[in-house]
Formats: sequence, C-alpha cells, structure tokens
Amino acid sequence: MKTSSIKQLRKQENLIGHLFASPWLLGITILGAFPILASLYISFTTYDMIAAPKFIGLKNYIILFTNDEIFWKSLYNTFYHVFISVPLGLVVGISLALLLNNKIKGMSIYRTLFYLPNVVSIVAMALLWMWLFQPNFGIINEILKPVYRFLGMEPLQWYQAAKTSKITLILMGLWTAGGTMVIYLAQMQDIPVSLYESAEVDGANWLQKTFNITLPLMTPSIFFNFIMSIIGGFQVFTIAYIMTNGGPSRSTYYYAYYMFDKMMNDHSMGMASAMAWILLVIILIITLFALRLNKYVVYLGEES
Amino acid sequence: MREEIKKPKLTKKQRNLIKAVILHFVLICASFGFIFPFLWMLFTALKTPQELLLGFQQFFPKDPQWGNFVTAVTKIPFFMYLKNSLIIVTLSVIGTLFSSTTAAYAFAKLRWRGRDKWFVIMLATMMIPIQVILIPTYIMYSYIGWLSTRLPLIVPAFFGGGAAFYIFLLRQFFKGIPKELTESAIIDGANHLQIFFKIMLPLSKPALLTVALFTFMATWNDYFGPLIFLSNPDHWTLAIGLRSFQTQFGGRYDLMMAASILIMLPTLILFFIAQKSFIEGITFTGIKG
Amino acid sequence: MKKLLLTLLFLLTALSVFGCAEDTDTDKTEIMFWHMSPVGSPSYSGMKTLINDFNDSQDLYVVKGIGFSFWDYWDKISVAIASRTAPNIGLSTIDDVVSRASTGALFDITTLMENDTTGVNTIDLNEYRQSQMDFATFEGDLYAMPFTATTRALYYNLDMFREIGLTEDDVPETWSELKTVAKMFDKVDTDGTIERLGFDPTYGDATYHGWLWETGLDFFDENLNPTLNTQGHVDVLNWILDFNSNFTRSQLSAFGEANTMLGLNPFAAERVAMIIGNDGLYQTIINSGATFDYGVSMIPIPDENGIHVNWGSGFSLEMYDNGNNTEAEIQGAFEFYKYLLSEDVQIQLAEINGWIMGHIDGMNEYVKDKPIMQALLAEVDYARDKVYVPYAPSWHGNDWQSYYTQILNGELTPEEGLLAARNHYLEKQQNYNSVNN
Repeated sequence: MKTSSIKQLRKQENLIGHLFASPWLLGITILGAFPILASLYISFTTYDMIAAPKFIGLKNYIILFTNDEIFWKSLYNTFYHVFISVPLGLVVGISLALLLNNKIKGMSIYRTLFYLPNVVSIVAMALLWMWLFQPNFGIINEILKPVYRFLGMEPLQWYQAAKTSKITLILMGLWTAGGTMVIYLAQMQDIPVSLYESAEVDGANWLQKTFNITLPLMTPSIFFNFIMSIIGGFQVFTIAYIMTNGGPSRSTYYYAYYMFDKMMNDHSMGMASAMAWILLVIILIITLFALRLNKYVVYLGEES
Repeated sequence: MREEIKKPKLTKKQRNLIKAVILHFVLICASFGFIFPFLWMLFTALKTPQELLLGFQQFFPKDPQWGNFVTAVTKIPFFMYLKNSLIIVTLSVIGTLFSSTTAAYAFAKLRWRGRDKWFVIMLATMMIPIQVILIPTYIMYSYIGWLSTRLPLIVPAFFGGGAAFYIFLLRQFFKGIPKELTESAIIDGANHLQIFFKIMLPLSKPALLTVALFTFMATWNDYFGPLIFLSNPDHWTLAIGLRSFQTQFGGRYDLMMAASILIMLPTLILFFIAQKSFIEGITFTGIKG
Repeated sequence: MKKLLLTLLFLLTALSVFGCAEDTDTDKTEIMFWHMSPVGSPSYSGMKTLINDFNDSQDLYVVKGIGFSFWDYWDKISVAIASRTAPNIGLSTIDDVVSRASTGALFDITTLMENDTTGVNTIDLNEYRQSQMDFATFEGDLYAMPFTATTRALYYNLDMFREIGLTEDDVPETWSELKTVAKMFDKVDTDGTIERLGFDPTYGDATYHGWLWETGLDFFDENLNPTLNTQGHVDVLNWILDFNSNFTRSQLSAFGEANTMLGLNPFAAERVAMIIGNDGLYQTIINSGATFDYGVSMIPIPDENGIHVNWGSGFSLEMYDNGNNTEAEIQGAFEFYKYLLSEDVQIQLAEINGWIMGHIDGMNEYVKDKPIMQALLAEVDYARDKVYVPYAPSWHGNDWQSYYTQILNGELTPEEGLLAARNHYLEKQQNYNSVNN
C-alpha cells in the first residue's frame, strides 16, 4: 500500500514538474528549435547569406582547426580574458556589495551611482575609458607620472600596447560590476538579521561576521555570477569592437570578434556558425565542470 | 570571576560614526569614476556643435543648450516610439516573470524526468550568440507572418525566450529557501501551486524585483531586436529612434546625448525605487531559533 | 498590487490591439524603398518630399519609403536579402554588386531598360561613369546603377597657410613637396607634446592602398592572387613611416585620434594643417560649425611616375528579386528607379543628403556655386574602386589593419609585415577554394 502511494506521489510530482516547466519547454521546442538546429546545419555548409547554403560536411571545422592561425590566436585571447576577468569580477562585485550593504544615509544614492554605468550608453562609457586610459592625455597616466618616474619606467600604454591591452579591457569591464552587485544585494536581504545579532552577542567583529555568515549564505548568488561570468566572458566582443578594433596586433581580437568578422566582412556564415558551435561546446564543457563544484561550494538552505 | 582589565574602548556610537565617515569617503571617491560617464553625457547634451569638436579640452559647456532636450523629443516621433517601448517592455516583463518563475521552481524544487538534462540545455541556450541564429529566426517569423506585428518581441517572453539568465538566477534563490518550509507545507496538505504562490514568490521579492528590473532594462534599451524583427516603422521603439541622430557624417552628438539621457531616466528611477526595498529587507521568520 | 498589474495588462493588450496600423485599401501597387534617412534625421523630410512627388505624378504605383540610420541599414538589408524579403528598391555598395548579381538576388537592369515601355525618365548611360558601371556589370548586363560617387582628396587649412606666409599656390602636389610644406606647420610644446601637425599619411581617410595605387602597385594581380612582395610595396611603407619619424607612433596616434562614431576629427578641430579626407569630411565640417577657411585639391603623387588616382567608391541602386515579385511591382519599381536616376532628382538627392551623386551633368549643375564641392567633384573623375576579392571581401579592412598597425608601431619591419599579410591572404584563398569548389 505504502509503495503504491509513493509511486503515485512521484508520478504526480513528475507531472507537476513538467507543468511548471511547460512555458519554457514549449518555448525552447517550438520557437527555439528551428533557429538553433538551422544554425547547426549551416555550420556544415558554405553560406554567403545570399545564395542558398551548400552542404560541405565537416570542411569548415577542419579548416578552422588545421589551417587558420587567427582561430587559435582568438581562442587564446578569449581564454586569457576569462581566466583573469572571472575571479577579478567576483572579487570586485562581492566587495561592492559588502560595501553597499550598510545602513548609512545616502546608501540608495551610492547604489544608484555604482549601477549607473550599466544604464549609460556604451558610447559614453567608451569616452570615459579614453579619458582615463589614453596613454598620452589620460587621467590615469597623469596620476601615475611620479610612480613611473620613481620606478624609472616608460608610462604604460594601456590599450595601445599588445602586452597590456587585454588587462586594460578587463579593467574597463569592471565598471559594469554594478550588475552583479545588485544580485548580491538581493541575496543578502535573505540573510536573517537574527544571525548577525546572535553573532554580535558572541563578540564577533565585522570581518568574522562577513566570513562566517554573509559569504557562506551568499554562495548561491556567488556561484550564479561565477557561471554567468564564465559564459559571458567567452563571448566578450563589444568592448574590443569599440575601443581597440581587436588590436593592437590582434591582441584583443577575441573569438566572438573573429566570428563577427567572418560573418559580416567575409560573408562566410557557414564558417561563423561552425565557430559558434565550437564555442558552445567549449563553454558547455567548462560550465559542466564548474557545475560539479556546486556540491562543494554552495551552501543551500536545503541542507541543515 | 576574573576582572579583565580592558583598555578604554570607543563607545559604540563613536565607532559607528568613524565607520560611517570612512565609508562615505571611500564611496565618494569611488563614485566619481562611476558618475563621470553620466556627467560627460549631460555636458555633451548641453554643448553647442562647435564645443563638441574640442573633445576633452573643454569639459564644461559654456552656454548650456537646454533646448536640446526639447529638440531631441520633437525631431523623432517620440510619443509613438514611447508607446511602442512601453507596450513591448511591460509585456516582456510580465511574460518573463511568469515563465522564468515557473521554470525556476520546476528546476529548483521539483523532481521530474529529464530535469537535469533540460537544465543543461537551458544553460546552453546562453552560449549561442544571437548573430548566428538571427537569419533562421528571421525566416521563421517571416514564415508565420509575425514581422508586421510586435509579436516577435512579446511572445517569446511568455515562453522563457531569452530568460535563461533569469531562470538560473531564480533557481538559485529558490534553492536557498529552506526545505523545511516547503516540507511542512506539504504535510499541512498544500499542493505545489499553493506552495509556489504562498511561499516561494513572497519570500523571493528581492530576486523578483531584480528580474523585473533587468528585464525592463534589457528590453527598454534593445535596439537590435526591434530593428530586425519589426518591419513596420510604426512599431519602432525609443531605442531605435535614438540611433537616427547618428548619421554617416558623425551626427549630432548633442542631440543624441540629450535623447539618451531622457531614455535613460525611467531605468534609473526604477532602479532607485527597486533597490530601496533592498534596504528594508525581508524579516525572515525562520524556523531555526 | 495584483489588481494594478491586471488593469495594466488589460490596458496594454488593448493598446497593442488598437495600435496595430490599419492598412489603407488602395488599388495601387505598393513599392517598398529602403533608404538611410530615418525619421528624425536631417534628410528625412527631403526624402519624404521626393517620394511624395513621385507618388503624386502618377496613379498606378505608390512608393513607401523606410529610412534606417546609416549604421543599422546594412544589418537590415543583409538580413532581408538573405531571407528573400528584400525591398523592391534599395541601396548597397557598388564594389560587390557581382556577389549579389551572380546569385540571382538582383534584377537585370539592362533587360529592364530594353523592355522599357513608358519612356519616362529613360536612363542615359552617358551620364554615369563607366568605371563605376563596370563594377555593376555581370555577364555583360548591368545589375545596378551607381547611385553615389565618393572620392578622397587633400584638404588644407588656408587660415593656417596664410598664418605662416604661404598661399594657395604653395599647396603641395608631389610627395616631396608635401613633406617640405608639412614640416613648416609642426608645433611642439616645451615638454614635447604635439600642438599642431602639418600632415600625416595615416590620418583621416588615407589608406595604404591609396598611396600604393599612386605608384602603380596594388594588393592583388589580375587573377586576384595577392602580391605585396615587391620592393615598391616596401618603399611606400617606408615613406609612410619616415614622414613624421621625429615623433613616436604613440604620440601620433594620440594626436590624430579620430573616431567617426564619437565625432572626433583632427582637421575639423584644427589640429592638423592638411589631411586626406573623403567627400564626407565636407559635411562633417559643416555639421560641426567650424568656420576656418579651407580648400581641397588632389592628393599629392610620387615625384616620379606618379599616377593621379584616389580611392573612391559609392552606393549602388538595386532592385531586389525575392522570387515572388509581381509584374506590376517590377514595373513600378523600375519607374521609381528611373525617377531616382533622373537629373533633377539626382540634384535634389545631393541637396538632401550631402552626397556626391552619380549623375555627371546633374552634379556639375549642383556644384556650380560650391567651390569646395567643385574641387571634390573634379577628383571623382580620378577615383578608382577597390577590387572585389571573394575570398577576402574586407582585404583592405580587418584583414590588413592588424599587419599595418604592427608595421606602423615598429613591431614588424615592412618586409616582415608584408610577408605575413601575404601569407594571410594566401591562407584565406586556399580555404575559400577548398570550400567553394
């Protein structure tokens, strides 16, 4: 008797699960399937976006892997970007959120200010970055002049030198850390005040409270931003398109930029689609690996 | 009991004051870097075309051209674009909230066949850049005749289109809500629909606000979707209208910045209102202690 | 709260239902025309008038124009062509007409002209430049017409010339004159920052292939194989590098930092005395409200065996074949097509958009009272378009730029850079052939 009611419950939960997921499921299978599968098919064709696609099998993929030096360069640039920007972005985002989770006067204004770059047009941001990072008249090099003199080195050329361009773009990207900050702030609201109060009774200071209460309870959103910044990091493009045109010396020529050029300038939609699917596989493998970490890293309300 | 000889400490009030001062100082310094682009936009909107040429050599406008804001509004069919933006954005927010909360609940709290497989597929949809599915998507909408309507920008929202980000986000938040709450509700005889509406949603207000805010912003500022998928110019949105100030020969940056600022304001105001509730927070009548 | 949301939802659904445009029922055939003057742009009302005039002049067809901003237009038209939902008439670029003609995306203009029944606004091919029409020809027939004609020329700041005692006669005509005159304008601060520069061969709209063509060389031979492997190619690069060798490349790029998207141009901002600019610079200077006195002349050529040539291109006017166009649509589109190419309308288009249009007599008439435009128009006759290379359509752009900047920065010597670029083109040619045969 008991076993059949458990089976019934399981069946019911299975049905309800599908029910709740049905809007999204319908969306992906009806609206999403055709474009996605079509792009997969196109990756096995040569398609200049005018004449009909012509099937050529794996040729696009073979060419990319064996006879395309820029493919590897752009892949390297992108991996570099991901490996540095993801940890850096996490640290900055969390720090901002910690900083702005205090109940001092004017906190609303500060939070809005820090979120401002996410709202402002990208053209204005580009101008800001030029004003800051321009090697010859930018504010940063002006401020660092005495440091350069003291160290006896030439001023850093920021986005105009191949060695420093990727780091410069990563620093520029930090301006939009306000986006992750909002998510952390939202998560922090779910932390019971009672936990902090009992910690204070025990004599904990700010550092202890942060590391023993706040951060552990924030791990779901930290993990979220971790995965999202990996996925987003691999698709980095716009900032290089506006600031550096992929240069100097293709040092900021990211994978997505190369794919864009393949599509818009070379009119090789087939090759571009192949690049997209290769990237998808790469990101998927890395994301699946990162998801494994979920068990060890994320504290969920489900476990006591 | 030993009397511990303590050094004279600062009173709590004094400690808080120092903390507040330091915080304010750090925040003001940091804010400058964040507010600069907005200030630049504002000053550019107020400059004359000649002043624009001087670039960074002249930061402040000498004779603020407040009229630029009026011109920006009158040159384009501002109110028609505004209406279109409002329709598309509001329906998108509602649709996204609907489809992402339901899917997130399914992924977070329910067990069903293929759940984990579909979760990975959902994540995978964020790994395909829009450019490579653009033409097939366009052909699909053309085939079903939606291009002459606003539907391509509204319907997908109700079916989780482009909502993978929010589904994942809400799933994390839902998972953070203790199992004990849902389990005791089940013991009390509640079904999942009731749990969803009476427990999950109310406890996730900050997350829901975040989703609504982000969706609003993304849709409000999206020019590419409306540009490609709306073949009828009467359906165009503010984001497209903004770009008509940019011409082959450079364009009127003063007008463009003025229009940008006007278009930016709703998002800013919404953000300000939304994050205020982050301060109020939610007092969590937890089960523990 | 729920009530509010529900009422909002109801209101909006109602709005969207009523907001749908009601199509006016007419017997006239509707012709779609896409252009680059969106509502809100300076040229919008002019284009609207032009279209209305055509619609009022006859009662068989009604042309509906949709304008997109210049930067969005190209996304729109490429998606439309790819999905075979292109407008009846639109603009594109003349240098790659062949890629669209060869795949059946365009209607044959020569055939349409031969079968022209109305005889209104007949196209006079003598009024258009053969060099441009050659680009629009595929298998003997025209598949597009040159709509606009662009060019590049030397812009010089007369005020600055007079300031140091020079006159218009001193405007340089050869490379060595250019260098001598340019050096007279250089002004440097006490701490070494550039205050003013005479000229730099990399500023403005100058290109490596532009200089190359003046020596009779090019990137590709007649069979579209990459060259770039002669001493002549190296010499031109060395000339470019040596021009302002007293400054570092980083100083020069900071000083000449120009960005059309951000509205910065060093000549309009009076930072340089001379610059290579395209015909659009004339509009930019007007739009920026700059008031200095300036002139335009031909780009200086090499001292010996120099060829008077510049890089010019243009938009093409095309009629798109979606495979399902009705006969009435095709006829109507062609009537409007001829209208757009007629002399009076070409003059109007120049006035509205600030472009140099393709019609020769029309433009001669248009520039009668505009000395700068006259000089620019004179240079159009020497304009040459870049060859279309199927395996590297952007050979002068993203394919070449990274090697060019590496050479300019000194990271590669001219020889190394040219070799690397040539190998890159060869690789692209190889890959293209293996995929397309």
